[in-house]
Amino acid sequence: MTQAKKNYLRVAITSVLVSLLVGAVVILILGKNPLTAYYNLLQGCGLAPKTKYGGGKSMFTDLSSYVDYWTPMIFAALSYAFAMRAGLFNIGISGQMLTAGFVATITIGYSQLPGLIAKPLVVIIGAIAGMAVGALIGFLKYRFNINEVVSSIMLNYIARYVISFFIQTRYIDPVSRQSVTIGDNARLTFHQILLGGYKYDLPIGFLLAIIATIIVKFVFDKTVLGYELRAVGLNKTAARYAGINVGRSIVLSMAVSGALAGIAGVTYYLGYFASIQPKVLISTGYDAIAVGLLGNNDPVGIFIASFLIEIISKGSTYMSSQAGLESEIASVITGLILLASACNAFFLERLQRRQNARAEAAAGAQKVSQAADSADEGRSSRGGERQ
Amino acid sequence: MIDALNTIIIDGMSFALPLFIMAIGGIYSERSGITNLALEGLQGMGAFVGALVAYVLGRSLGGNSQVPYYMAMLFAMIGGCVYSMLHAVLCIKFKANQVISGVVINILGAALTSFLTKTINRQVFGAPSDKFDLGVSARYTVPGISKIPILGAFFTRVYPFELIIIVAAVIAWYFLYRTRFGLRLRACGDNPAAVDAAGGDVARTRFIAVMVSGALSGLAGMCFAYSISAKFSSDIYMGYGYLAIAGYIFGNWELLPSLAACLIFGFARSAGSEIVLALGMPSAYGDLVMILPYVVTLLLLVFLSKHNQAPHALGEIYDKAKR
Repeated sequence: MTQAKKNYLRVAITSVLVSLLVGAVVILILGKNPLTAYYNLLQGCGLAPKTKYGGGKSMFTDLSSYVDYWTPMIFAALSYAFAMRAGLFNIGISGQMLTAGFVATITIGYSQLPGLIAKPLVVIIGAIAGMAVGALIGFLKYRFNINEVVSSIMLNYIARYVISFFIQTRYIDPVSRQSVTIGDNARLTFHQILLGGYKYDLPIGFLLAIIATIIVKFVFDKTVLGYELRAVGLNKTAARYAGINVGRSIVLSMAVSGALAGIAGVTYYLGYFASIQPKVLISTGYDAIAVGLLGNNDPVGIFIASFLIEIISKGSTYMSSQAGLESEIASVITGLILLASACNAFFLERLQRRQNARAEAAAGAQKVSQAADSADEGRSSRGGERQ
Repeated sequence: MIDALNTIIIDGMSFALPLFIMAIGGIYSERSGITNLALEGLQGMGAFVGALVAYVLGRSLGGNSQVPYYMAMLFAMIGGCVYSMLHAVLCIKFKANQVISGVVINILGAALTSFLTKTINRQVFGAPSDKFDLGVSARYTVPGISKIPILGAFFTRVYPFELIIIVAAVIAWYFLYRTRFGLRLRACGDNPAAVDAAGGDVARTRFIAVMVSGALSGLAGMCFAYSISAKFSSDIYMGYGYLAIAGYIFGNWELLPSLAACLIFGFARSAGSEIVLALGMPSAYGDLVMILPYVVTLLLLVFLSKHNQAPHALGEIYDKAKR
């Protein structure tokens, strides 16, 4: 591990710990025990045993349900990272997820296709629907210079209302007030599968998420495309002079980001859930920003960060019922992590400056002891600076 | 027909003016060089603080008093202002990416206010609820002028906050365009190094500009809480902050053109709901009307963004050492 990575890890862990500490103080003020509350989070995700379980349930039932819940976030955060790589801020992930989930639901979700055909089609259609929305945002940015944050927020609201309109007029289930549940043939999660006496939720999407993480990591680190996106993200003008087609990079990164958000959408609406609640835009797309920031926009970092953030998010329901705290405390803690992560760059720079100063001081001390050997002097102090 | 037109004007104005005052806040911040996507969170936090104050005062003063209303406006401005300092600190002191900081402010604001609303309701008032009921604001009709056809609608059933907003907007205009401070503020957004060389304090000016945007957004949030929803709840986060941003981008970061944009949004929205009502469509069609302001925003941006010129130093971190 390089020094820069080590530094980043130090700063990131500190920011999480500080956020958890602030959260603990809030819980303490409310007169509850923060340690139990945090332990409840783990219990809710099947990472620690509960005191009692209902019939056919065990810790691993909760764990499998947690993994099912975690899967969409991995895709959503990869989506955020892919846009961010080119310096674009995709805040429309929730809207893209909803669009993809809705399109896949009405095309495949309600069809009678056999599972072997339906499931891959759901993923493909979700990716295409998300890609279309993402590419539109990229195109608006490139062609009309429209700030991607503003346009994606507008599209979020448009998607939310239009889809709510269609669900309420055509696909509503009068009992649940949600869209009609999709068939098991199209669902990406094997829901409540009985294995050895216990029930599990087995998400196919999780395997895809691991594969996607590896692919995105490869694209970022080893391909020309990854390099070009990074160049555009760091400095558009310089990238243009270097012969990179900036417009193409912007549209492409938004399209891929949209496609990843689309897959996140189908793993959520046709995996973890099997229906869509009208008028609701889920928070996954916004939490993905926290994950991306915390994971330093690195696919592996994101994988780890999403694991953590989703524990807070998923476990909050159980914590709320056990500790009597409002489950919104989870989004407050996520918000605090986000806040601390936004300052990461500042503390990173500070840490680096301190290390440099220390290295220079060490080099200076060396200089005194090696006064005779004046030829080496310059090299050693320069070496210190470079660290 | 005339009735419908009157309703469109009355409802349009009560939506457009809060949007406008929020856009002015955005203009202050962005003309000083700080990208402000935080308007959404600032208006929500302002509305939360104002609503809390109004709710507490309303309980102790009884139903008919107008005091809670005006105190709510005041405290919404204070709340928005204080919360905006977080954005200012992140952007100026911690040199965070201003876009990210803005989004962080929004997410944290939404999380904090809904958490606090529930917690305060349960722990302090002993009644589990996710909202503070405020009741609708009183409305006034100016006698005489309101009888003029069409134009009279601008003076009919007016919310008191509309007057507050107009006064605040005139003051904001004066400060931005007619004072040394305003000149310096605008210069900070275009050429901070020059301001620094002339002896101005870039960081301080920007800090104040962000605080102004917080106060004005807080006021706007309170107006939305009193007019559209008659309560404070998480419904306050409807993306109006982003509409305001689209408004001033469309208005090229100038006050009066931004007013035009906000009026277009307001009238698009009220005209849409009038049409649904007039045609007697089922309520689900209301959802389709709700998208009108957003669609109009996108279309306007498509036609206008290219010609608009953002402040030159917008979003750049000013580092004295690099001058």
